[in-house]
Amino acid sequence: MKRSRDIDPIAAKAAILDYCRRKGALAAGVADLAAIERIAPPGHRPKDLMPRVKSVIALGVGGQTQGAWTVPAKALGYFGSTETRAYKIAYGCAFFIEQKFGFRSVYCPPDMDPDGGPRVPLQSLKLHAELAGIGARSLAGDILLHPEYGYMYFASVFTELELPPDQPMADNPCPAPSCVAMYRSIGQTPCMKFCPVQCLTGEVGEDGKQKVMRYDMAACSEMSQQYETVPTRIVEAIRAETEAEREDALFDPDNKMLWYKVSAGSGGWFAQCFECMRACPIATKAPLADPLLRGQAQRAAAEKK
Amino acid sequence: MARGLTREQVGVTEEMIATFGDIVFRMSHNYQERTGDPVRKLDWAEIERQKEDMGLTDQQIADKLGLTRNQVLFIRTIEERRRFRTGHHARLLELGGGKRFRAERMTPALDHFRYSESALALRAALRFDPERAREYVRRGWWRDDTLPKWLARHAAERPEAPALIHAGRAISWKELAEKVARLAGALHRAGVAAGDVVAAQLPNVPEFVVAYLAVCRLGAVLSTMHMPYRAAEIENLLAHNKAVAAIVPSEGKEFRPAEAVLALRARLPQLKAVIAHGAKIEGAFVLGEMIDQSPPLDDDAVTPPVAADPFLLLYTSGTTAAPKAVPHNYHTLLANARLGAPEHGITAGDRVLSAAPFTHLFGLYSVHVAMAVGAAMVLLPAFTPADLAATIARDKPTALWTAPAHFAALRAQDLVAKHDFSSLKMMIMSGSACPPDLVHWTAAQLANCAVTQLWGMTETQGALYTRPGDSIEIAANSAGRPSPGTEVRIVDAEGRPCPPGEEGELQVRGCLLFPGFVNNAAANEASFTADGWYRTGDLATADAAGNVAITGRSKDVINRGGVKFNPRDVEDLLDAHPQILQSAIVPMPDRVLGERACAFVTLRPGAAAPTLDELCAYLLGKSIAKLKLPERLVVVAEMPLTPTRKIIKGKLRLPG
Repeated sequence: MKRSRDIDPIAAKAAILDYCRRKGALAAGVADLAAIERIAPPGHRPKDLMPRVKSVIALGVGGQTQGAWTVPAKALGYFGSTETRAYKIAYGCAFFIEQKFGFRSVYCPPDMDPDGGPRVPLQSLKLHAELAGIGARSLAGDILLHPEYGYMYFASVFTELELPPDQPMADNPCPAPSCVAMYRSIGQTPCMKFCPVQCLTGEVGEDGKQKVMRYDMAACSEMSQQYETVPTRIVEAIRAETEAEREDALFDPDNKMLWYKVSAGSGGWFAQCFECMRACPIATKAPLADPLLRGQAQRAAAEKK
Repeated sequence: MARGLTREQVGVTEEMIATFGDIVFRMSHNYQERTGDPVRKLDWAEIERQKEDMGLTDQQIADKLGLTRNQVLFIRTIEERRRFRTGHHARLLELGGGKRFRAERMTPALDHFRYSESALALRAALRFDPERAREYVRRGWWRDDTLPKWLARHAAERPEAPALIHAGRAISWKELAEKVARLAGALHRAGVAAGDVVAAQLPNVPEFVVAYLAVCRLGAVLSTMHMPYRAAEIENLLAHNKAVAAIVPSEGKEFRPAEAVLALRARLPQLKAVIAHGAKIEGAFVLGEMIDQSPPLDDDAVTPPVAADPFLLLYTSGTTAAPKAVPHNYHTLLANARLGAPEHGITAGDRVLSAAPFTHLFGLYSVHVAMAVGAAMVLLPAFTPADLAATIARDKPTALWTAPAHFAALRAQDLVAKHDFSSLKMMIMSGSACPPDLVHWTAAQLANCAVTQLWGMTETQGALYTRPGDSIEIAANSAGRPSPGTEVRIVDAEGRPCPPGEEGELQVRGCLLFPGFVNNAAANEASFTADGWYRTGDLATADAAGNVAITGRSKDVINRGGVKFNPRDVEDLLDAHPQILQSAIVPMPDRVLGERACAFVTLRPGAAAPTLDELCAYLLGKSIAKLKLPERLVVVAEMPLTPTRKIIKGKLRLPG
C-alpha cells in the first residue's frame, strides 16, 4: 500500500467524516486514541486489535424512526437491522481511507469477545463514539444519546492515519427536562419505570444532571439477549421428565422461534428490547429521529459533495 | 468450557464455583454503576475510581481474587448460565406500543396464572369426539357463547330492561352486571380462580343468578347442591368436586348449612371460603355484603372464559362412593339453549319463571334460554303450590318451566282457578313422567298457553321437547322431537334401531351432550356406545313422525317429584342397622310425586322389626336428607337374589 505524502490531517479528517455522512451516517467524529487506551481494559483496547492504530473514527446511523416507536414490542424487536448500515458505512470508510490516503484501515468488528462470551464486546463502540463526541451516556444503561440525532447505532474504523481527535460532547442531553420532572415526582425516569425487567435504577441530582446510573445487565440480558436460551432449552429438553415437557422445551411457540432465529441467522429477539428507548424523549423526539428531517439532512450532506 | 479446556485442565471445582461464583458474577459487567459523567468530562480521577463499579474484565477479576483468568472465565460462564432464566423475552410479546409513558402490564412468565391440579383434571374430562366437534362448529351450533358475554351484551343493549324479577321488584340487566362484577371481584379476592369449582346450595333467589354469573366471569365452575342435602351429602360432593368455595344458606330447615360446611373444612383442605347467604356466620363471608359492598372485578384482572371452558359441574343422582359428575362447557349447554329459545318461542320480551330449582339443570335451562335472548327471569325461591300461583299472578311470567308434580299440586288445591294465570303463553313440563290427563287438564285451564313437554337429563339439558304448535295429543303423549343439533335413537338390547312404536332404550347424541363423567371410567364405559351415543337408561318409543314417548326407566334412581336420587347410600346405612340384615329401596308409584321410596328389608336373626319412624330417625341421625327417607317399610323374609347375591329389585313387589 502506497501512502500518500503531505497529507493535511485536518483536511483528511474532513474528507473522511464527509464520506461517512454522505454514505448515511448522521454523525461522525474522531476519538482520542490515548483516552480509549487509558479507559478500555486490557484486551479491549484498539492496539490489542491493531497494534499500529493511530486513530479511531466513530460514526452513528439513525436508530428507530418515530413511527417505529409506535409499534408493539414484538414487532419493534425485528427492527434491529439498523446497525448493519453503520457497519456497512464503516467498512466503506476503511476502504476509502486506504484507497485515498494509502493508510491501512480496518472496520472494527462489532462482534463479541470469543474469550468473554456473548455479553462482552471485543471493542467498546460506545466508548469510541462517546470520546468522538457523537453521543453521551444516558441513565438507560449507558446507551448513548444525542440531542439532535437521538438514539443511534455506532460503528468504528481503526486506521494508521493519524487524525486530530474530537472532544466529547460538552453537555449531556440525558435526563431530558420531562424526565427530571418525572423523577422528582415518582423517583424514576421513564426508562427506569418502563423497563420490563427493572434493570435500571439511578439518581438525578439537585442540578437536574445524572448523579448515579445503575444497570443490571444480567437482568437486561435475560430479556434481550437470547444467546443463552438456546443451549438452556436444549438442556431442559434433555432433562425433561415427561414427553410433554420435552416437547414444550423444544417446540412451544417461543422456543420454536429460537430455532427459526438460529436457522435464519437473524437478529430480532436475539439482541433487542428497546423499551427504555421507547420511553425516552430524546430517542423518540430528537429532531432527526423524524425520518423526514433525517432524510433532508442526509440529502444535504450528499449535496455538499 | 474455557476455550475448550476442561475443569480438570483449568483446575476448577464445584466448591470453587460455590465460593467465588457470586463475587465473580457481580464484579463482572453483570452489574454496572456509574456516578456522574466522568468519561464525557474526561475526569480521570473518577474514571479510575469507578472502573471497578463499571465491571471488570476476567483478567482484572482474576488479579483481584487470586485466580487464573481461565478460572474466572470458567466460573463466570458457569454462574451466568446457572442464573440465566429463560423465557423472559416472551414478555416482549405482552408489551403494547404507541402510547408513551403508559403503564404496561407485565407478568413474569413464572407468575402467570396456572390452573390448579383439580381444575386441569376437570378440563381433561372435556374430551369430545373431534369429528363431531368440527361438525358442530361448522353448522354454527357451537359458537363463542359464554354467559359473561351474554350478560355483557344484554347490559349494553337493554341496560334498563328487567333481568330478574323477584317479589315484585325488578333488577335490570345493568344492575345485574354490576352485582356480578362486584361478587366476581370479591370471589377473586377470596381465592377463586379460573377452573376452580364453587359449590352452591341456594334457592331460586337473585343471589343465585348473581353467584352463577360471577363464578362464570372468573372462568370458574359452578357445582350445585340440591337444597335438601345435608352435611353427609354436602361433604361427599365437596370432597369429590374439590370446591374451593361453598355458597350455602345461613339457615335451613332444621339445619344450618353454613355452620355445617364450616365444620367440614378440616376434612376439606381445598375449601378456602364458606359464603353464607343470609345472616352473618362467624368464619364465613356474607354473600349479600360481597354483592353489595365489594369493589368490582377489574376488567383486566381475570381473563374472561371462552366457550370451550367448563362452567358447570352437576351430579346425577348418586352422591356416594362413585359419584357421577357431569361436566359441561358453554358449547354444550348454551348451544342447546340458544337453539332452543326460538323453538320454545322465547324472545327478549318474555318473562321466564322456573318452578324447578336452579340446582337442577332443568331449572338452569330456563336461565340459559332467558339469557340467550335477553328475556327476564321471574324468580320463585322455593316451590309451594300457593307461592307458585301467587308469583304467576303477581309477576306475570309468559313462560313457565315446571314439573308435572308442581301442576298436580296446583290442581289438587284448585289454585289455577283462583289466580290469574293469563300471562302464560308457554309452559314446559319436565322432570318426571307426565300423566297425559294432567297435560289435558292444564291445557284446558290455560286456553292461551301452549303446554309442552320436555325430556332431558343432567347429561344433555333439553334433548326432546314438543313445540308450542304441536297438537295437544302430541304434547300429552310424548316428550316431542329432538332439539336442534340433537340426534336420538331407540335401540333394542342388541343395539339395533327399533321400528316406530316398538319400545327400546333411548340413546342421545349431539352438540348438547356432555363428554363423559369426571374420573369415572366405569360409568363412561357403560354409558357410551363406541360411536358416541349416550345410553340414557330410559325406555322409549317413537311414532312415525319422530315424537318420542318415554315409557319407563331401566335405572334404579328414584324420581320423587322430579328430584332424582340414588338410594344406595341409604341402603348402605340400613344395612348397617343393628336389626337389619339386608335392604333394598325401590320406587313406589305416587299420584302426586310420581314416585316415593319404599324400603324392603330382611332382619337379622332374632331381631325385632323396626318401625318406619325408628328407621327414619336413625337415618336422620346419619345426616341423610329428608327427601331420601323411605316412606314405606316392607319387611320380607328373604330378598330375591342373583347368583352373585345381588338383589333383584325388579322382583320386589309391594304388598297389597
